[in-house]
Order: sequence, then structure tokens, then C-alpha cells
Amino acid sequence: MERKTVSTCPFCGVGCGIVVHTRDDRITWVDDDPANPSSRGMLCVKGRFGIPFVQHPDRLTTPLVRRDGELQPASWDEALDLVAERLLDYRGAFGSFASAKATNEDAFVQQKFVRLVMGTNNIDHCTRLCHSPSVEAMLVQLGSGATSNSYIDYEEASCLVVVGCDPDSNHPVIASRMRKAVDDHGTKLVVVNPKRIDLASRADVFLQPAPGTDVALFNGMARAILDEGLEDRGFIAARTEGFEAWRAVVMERTVEEYAQACGVDPHALRLAARLYARPPARRGLPADERPGSCLAWGMGITQHTHGTDNAHALINLALLAGQLGRPGCGISPLRGQNNVQGCGDAGCIPDSLPGYQPYRDDVVARFEEAWHAGIPREPGIKATDMVERIATGEIRAMYIVGENPLLSEPNLAHAGDLFRRLDFLVVQDLFLHETAELADVVLPACSFAEKDGTFTNSERRVQRVRQAVPRVGQSRADWEIICDLARRMAPHVGVDPGQFAYRSAADVFAEMARLTPQLRGISYERLEREGGIQWPCPSPDHPGTRYLYAQSFPRGLGKFVPVRQAAPAAELPDADYPLILNTGRVLYHWHGGTLTRRVQALLDQVSEVPVTIHPGEAERFGIADGDEVVVRSRRGRLTGRAIVTDAVRAGSVFVPFVKLRESAANFLTNNAYDEPSRIPEYKVCAVRVEKKRPRDTALTGGQPTASRDR
Amino acid sequence: MKVDGRPAPESASILDAVLALGIHLPHLCKDDNLPPIGACRTCLVEADGRVVAACHTPAAGVSEVLTNSGRVVRLRREVLRLTSRMHGPEPDVAGGPRSGEIWAAYEEHGLERPTFPRRIRDGFDATSPFFEFEEQACILCARCVTACQQLQHIGAIGIAGTATAARVTPGAGATFAGSICTACGSCVAACPTHALRPKPMRDPARAGRYRRQGNGTEDG
Ligand code: SF4
Ligand code: SF4
Ligand code: FES
Repeated sequence: MERKTVSTCPFCGVGCGIVVHTRDDRITWVDDDPANPSSRGMLCVKGRFGIPFVQHPDRLTTPLVRRDGELQPASWDEALDLVAERLLDYRGAFGSFASAKATNEDAFVQQKFVRLVMGTNNIDHCTRLCHSPSVEAMLVQLGSGATSNSYIDYEEASCLVVVGCDPDSNHPVIASRMRKAVDDHGTKLVVVNPKRIDLASRADVFLQPAPGTDVALFNGMARAILDEGLEDRGFIAARTEGFEAWRAVVMERTVEEYAQACGVDPHALRLAARLYARPPARRGLPADERPGSCLAWGMGITQHTHGTDNAHALINLALLAGQLGRPGCGISPLRGQNNVQGCGDAGCIPDSLPGYQPYRDDVVARFEEAWHAGIPREPGIKATDMVERIATGEIRAMYIVGENPLLSEPNLAHAGDLFRRLDFLVVQDLFLHETAELADVVLPACSFAEKDGTFTNSERRVQRVRQAVPRVGQSRADWEIICDLARRMAPHVGVDPGQFAYRSAADVFAEMARLTPQLRGISYERLEREGGIQWPCPSPDHPGTRYLYAQSFPRGLGKFVPVRQAAPAAELPDADYPLILNTGRVLYHWHGGTLTRRVQALLDQVSEVPVTIHPGEAERFGIADGDEVVVRSRRGRLTGRAIVTDAVRAGSVFVPFVKLRESAANFLTNNAYDEPSRIPEYKVCAVRVEKKRPRDTALTGGQPTASRDR
Repeated sequence: MKVDGRPAPESASILDAVLALGIHLPHLCKDDNLPPIGACRTCLVEADGRVVAACHTPAAGVSEVLTNSGRVVRLRREVLRLTSRMHGPEPDVAGGPRSGEIWAAYEEHGLERPTFPRRIRDGFDATSPFFEFEEQACILCARCVTACQQLQHIGAIGIAGTATAARVTPGAGATFAGSICTACGSCVAACPTHALRPKPMRDPARAGRYRRQGNGTEDG
């Protein structure tokens, strides 16, 4: 039988609308959805051709329990009884990772379980590893961590500034909308990236700073804006505080000094500053509208030991130029996973309750009244710290949903040692990945295509996910599994099991919306009728919100935070490790590749880790395009295929963090952290590269991935 | 405005009005997602006595539209016969995501088989792991080119050459794998014939398992 199911793409934070075509319950084709306002009929290769992982034979089909050292199939009752019994011993020494690939409903139920049944706020998710510095900085300066604008604002902007991200690889449909702005409206484009990304070919200004010098760069832009009097004085006076103190710090150096610190041309720096602060009107801009600038950034900003400083420096620029709170402008940390926004909204973060509500007496009381039980009031432990605190015994048991920390943590050898020391580890996921292999119990979850729910994309749009195919094996939705577990444990900890007796995903959503002010007006009926809705949507008659901060910031005034350039990174090149490693992604693989490695066509496209290296360095180390190479850092090594191109800076190497042929960048990266956000420094570490000895090449004769940048 | 005697809702183009009334009219080069291209002429109608392409004729100012007068039906049939000369020999309705459209159009116009001798064009590009291009079935409607350029703003494919030498190609003599194509599939989705079609989805249930080999490498 032929069927079409309208749903939402499970890969990146763009959140494109997809239509899943099935015949006899197998997926045959994935179409775009022209009616979806976020993607407007576009998809990228992963959304269109990457969905077959759903029905891959590697999918976990039954629970697995470790017996005699081996993971062996078990019934749901056996597995859940065991988990329930063991976890009761670890209340207080327990931590949980939620999945930014799961639905809002899954996330909401998980945090409720952790807070109510396990009695701790030790719950976190992957935002810790991608945008926690952005969130940290935005909370301090504005009072909210969300993207302020919508994708339509990229098309209506007069200038786009794209910093430390590669939308063509990571957010392809946003890249298309940005190209549309440039091609159709003459929007100015500024690209800042140590790597010459595809979008740079359309840029009016391309700045290629030395890794880790972002604060100098943005302070330099601020200085240029001040020098030329391009700041928005009205905005600064009416809507911000802390300007003078911040200004004094920026004025400590000249534009030339800043430019020199980051190795860029001062004229180009000035031009970028001018375009951002006062762009010339794009084609078709109504005469009464002020030209806007959008600032979009990625992990090139955040994954540094001074990631929060970088984000502060950027947000200072937005406040200085008044590029917030109007159509065609705003600030966007481009979110990675499809539901990283929703996972945070639903409360899977240690320092606040659902809806980013603080542990204030009145808020906690509201939750306790709804849930008829007490919840802890001290902030929990952050994801990266949970891992480190396995060593001190503070965390002895973990419950990990839809995450593979043994691929995504920095310094994997070290992380592996820590995970092996846990007393009890439960992993709930689709595949038996690196972390699941260490677990005591593995629970088979079902994918987005097998369940109902909602995802919230980068523009805060809550969109429906609908079941398109039958569940694989005995797999179940995350929220259902956790409810089942919670009902077993609840009576032992004084919680009413009825708190976990939801009848449907819609039921879960209704409770989440009731307790979360910015979602209060959204319901499944509305989503069915109107399609996706952007929060804040405080009431059922509210249309949703296209851009934030039109009138004020959640904290009242926007706050300038003075920052100075710190040392570029915790680990810098030296004689033994002379190159700087920069990490990122490739278009054809999703993150670590747990899903996309199981799509043959995607694997055909990129089957080995591409190691992009500058021609100068390649010559110095005797490496030719297409050679098999070994990259080493103080922590580990990987094997990959060289791509020689001047798209990377001299002295640097770029490796995506996908794991292919057992090689992954995170064996190399450093577990040095940014203090306020606790994000690891994935973006910079010192490495050396050498040609692999020829006798080994016979083992790995894959096709070269050279000649293409992505 | 009236279409075939029925009052039509207010619409931008004549085609929009026709489709809003649920009337069948071929429109092989007009994608819901894309601005009108006006290349295929299969949407011909009579508007106040003039024969026009419905897809890019504004509805404003037109009072009477006929989609079924003898004259336009005959003209459309001729256009479709010329189209079928370019289109492949075998009806393969399930071949591409949207390839049902063209067969429905043939049928509605009483063309069971392509009637003119086929023009032989044997380009076949299977270099992309995701989709393939069989030139034989291409009707040069330019939907793929427009999807790539005006929707995705990539511009990986174009139409090279003119008249009977015209062909869809990812750069002169290039293949999809060797071009700047990102394999987003927008062209495949837009194609109204089975010229651009997804490679048969390799059903992983039947494919070899993703396994760990002796030397610790993983393979598909
Ligand atoms: S751009 Fe992102 S959300 Fe859209 S299809 Fe690609 S992976 Fe999916
Ligand atoms: S698949 Fe390639 S040729 Fe087709 S629209 Fe996308 S980029 Fe263009
Ligand atoms: S649809 Fe009107 S000319 Fe092709």
C-alpha cells in the first residue's frame, strides 16, 4: 500500500518539512514539503536520501542485558525490572543525558523522571558540546538563549554576517536561503572562518582569521564602528547598559592592532564592520524600513576555551549596531541537532526547569503542585562535568538516551576510561554504538519515523513528527520506555505512578505546554490545523512569534560585557605537533556518523575521514592529494585521506568529526574547557600529519574523497 | 473570471484558477514550488479567444477561459505529441517521483503511444550515488534547472546548446559526481518525467550488514 506521511527531517536544526513516501511499510522516497515555512520546498542530501537508516538491519530490536559479560537479548520486563532495581541504589550519584534527536515529548518525560524519581537535576544534553557558550552569553546579556530571528529574516536582511560556521555542510537549507538573499536581493555577505567555506565564494568580505582570535576580531570590528561613528546611539541609550565600561576596553587597541592579532587585513575588517553596522539597503527593501543585518554563528565561536568570551564579543556587536528586534536582523547561534532547541525547552538542562524557568520558590512550587512530589532545587551537574566526575565517584550510574558520548566527547581514550568505571550504565538508542557496547542494559528506542511527537527547530518553530512506518522489532518510543520504568520505581520513592501514565504523545505535550509559558498556546490540534508554530506563543489565539526583542529584552536592558582576547587556545603548536587542528563536519555525514554510516549512498560519497591540508604544509610533510595520512595529537591518532587545498590556512588541518573506518577526530581533540559553559575546546589542538606507510594501504582501499571540498 | 463557464476564485495566474477549480490541465514545466518557466506549452488554454500558456498568464483582466475548446485540446495534443518524441519509449510511471504527470497528460489527450519517431539521445549519468539521469526521457522542461538555480541557488545544472542539440547537463561534458552538485535532490523531485530519478533505494534490509571486519574497519 502506498502512503505519504508529512513529518519533519531528523538531521539538523533547520527542521525541514518532509513527506515520507512508503510502499508496503517500507520507505521508498522522501519528498520536500513546499508548504513548510521553514524549508519552503527545499531539502538537502541527508533529508532527501539519508532516511534509510531507519530500516537498517543493524537496528536494535530487543532489550539487551549484560549476562556473563555479554550483552544478551532479554524481554522488556526483565530489562526494565533490572534497571528499576539498580537505579534505586544510585539516587544522588546519578546522571542522565537526553537526546537532541528525540522529540520534545521524549525529552520532557526524561527530565521529569530524572527530577522526580531520581531526585536530581543532573540532566543535560548535547547543547553542552555545541552552543552552551552562546546560551551562557545570551542569558547574561539578554536574558534568553534562543535565536532571535527567523529564516525569513536572512532573506530580508541587507547584510548577512556568517561567523565560524559552514552552513553549506551543516545547515544546507539555510545556506540556500542565504544564497537566495545574495542572488535575488543583492544582500551583502560577510564570511568569517579560518576555512574558506563554499559560501565565501559569494562573500563581499571574507575574513580568514587565525584560529582562536575571534575576540580580537570582533573587538576590532567594534572599534571600527566606533571610529566611524556608525553605532546606533538611540538603541544604546534606550535599550542597553554597560556601554561606557565596555567601550573603554575596546578602545585599548586600534583596528590595526586588532587586525594584526588575528592575521587579517585591517581594511577588510573595517569594511566588514561598516557593512554590518550600516548596510546599504538591499533590493526591494521598503523605503521606510531600516536595512537590517543578521549575525549567524556556529561552533567556530563556541568550541574554544574562551567560547563564552567569543559569544560575548559577538553579542556586544549586535547591541552596538542595534541589529536586533526588527525584521531582517537578529542573532542566531545555528543549532546543530534537529531538536536541540526543543530538548532545552523541555528542561533537559541542569540549571533550569522546562521553559528555562529558574529554581525559584514560586516556579518549583508550581511544578511540585502539578507533579504532587518534591523536586530538587540545586542546579545539577553539566554533561561534560558528569563525565569528569565519574572519576571522583560523584556519578556512579548513568542513563543515556540517543547519545553516543564515546564518539562525541573530546579526548575519547580518556572518556572511554571514565565510562568503564561506572557501576551501572543504561543506554537507550537505535544502534549498538560505542557507548552502548559498554552498557549494562541497552534498550531499543524507535526512530522519528516510527512515532508521534514534535521537534522544535532553530527558528523556535514547533513542528509535528508523525509515524510513517511500523516500529522495528520491539523498539518503543523513548517517552514510553521511560514512563514504563518510572512507574516501576515511583512507589519506592513516594511518587504517584499516575504521573507517568500518559496515553499519547499529545498528552505529554499538553502537560509540557501547561507548565511552559512560551509554549502555552500550542496544542496538537493547532499544529494539525496550522502547521508549525514559533514560540513564544503564550495563548491559543496567539499567532506565534517571528522575531524576539522588538520591545525589550527578557532581562530588561541588553548588557554590554567587556571581553579581551585571551590566549588563542589551551594547546598551541610546537616542534612535535606543529599544526593546528580545526574540526567541523561534512555535508554527507551527520555528526559522528552513527546514522549516516548506515546509508550506503552517503557512505559511497565520503567513505574515509577527509583530512584537509594546506598545500604548503602538504609539501613540507611530503603529502599529495589523495594520500592516506595519519594525524596524531598528544591524545591519539586517526587515519584519513588527504585533500590538499588552500581553503584552509597555512599551518592548519581540518578534519570533520565523523567516524569512518574506525577513525574519529575526537581521539585527537583536547578536553580543555571553557570555564563558564564547560564546553570542550574541539576547535583547536596541536597535531602532526604524516603519510601513512605504504604497506598499510592495502587494508583500506576505498575510493579517494579528494577533489571535493565537502 | 470564468473557467469553462464556472466562476473562478481570485488567482494570480490562469493556471492557478484552473487548478483551484479541480480541472485537469497538464502543466509539465510548472512546479508548485517554482516560478513559471513557460517552456513546455502543455498548459495552453483559450483566454478571451487568444491561445495562451496558462502558467504565466496573469488572471487579472481575463474574463473567459476555455480549457476544453476543440482548438486548444487539439493544440495541446500536438504539443504533447512533440513532447513524446523526446520522451522515453517505455511508460515507466513509477520511475521518478513525479513522473505520473506526463503519462496522465498523454492519456487525457488520447495519446497512448509516442507517435513520432523518437529522437535518440543516449546520455546516461549514474555517477551520483543518489540519483541518475537518463537523457532519453528528458523533455527539456527546465524544471530541474530552475529548481537547482532558483530554489536552491546552486546552479549545478543548465541547458546547453539550442534547438535539437539542447540538453540538460551539469556543466559542459561534466558528470553529476564531478560537478558542484550537492545531491540535494531538488531537481529529481521537480522532474516530471523519469529522466531524473532516484537510484532504486538500496533496501538496507536486503543489503549486506554494516559489520565489523577482522582488521577493525567498518564497512557497509
Ligand atoms: S537541511 Fe537539515 S533539516 Fe533540512 S533536509 Fe537537510 S538535514 Fe534535514
Ligand atoms: S541534486 Fe544537484 S543538480 Fe539537482 S538540484 Fe541539487 S545540486 Fe542541483
Ligand atoms: S506549464 Fe505552462 S508552459 Fe509549461
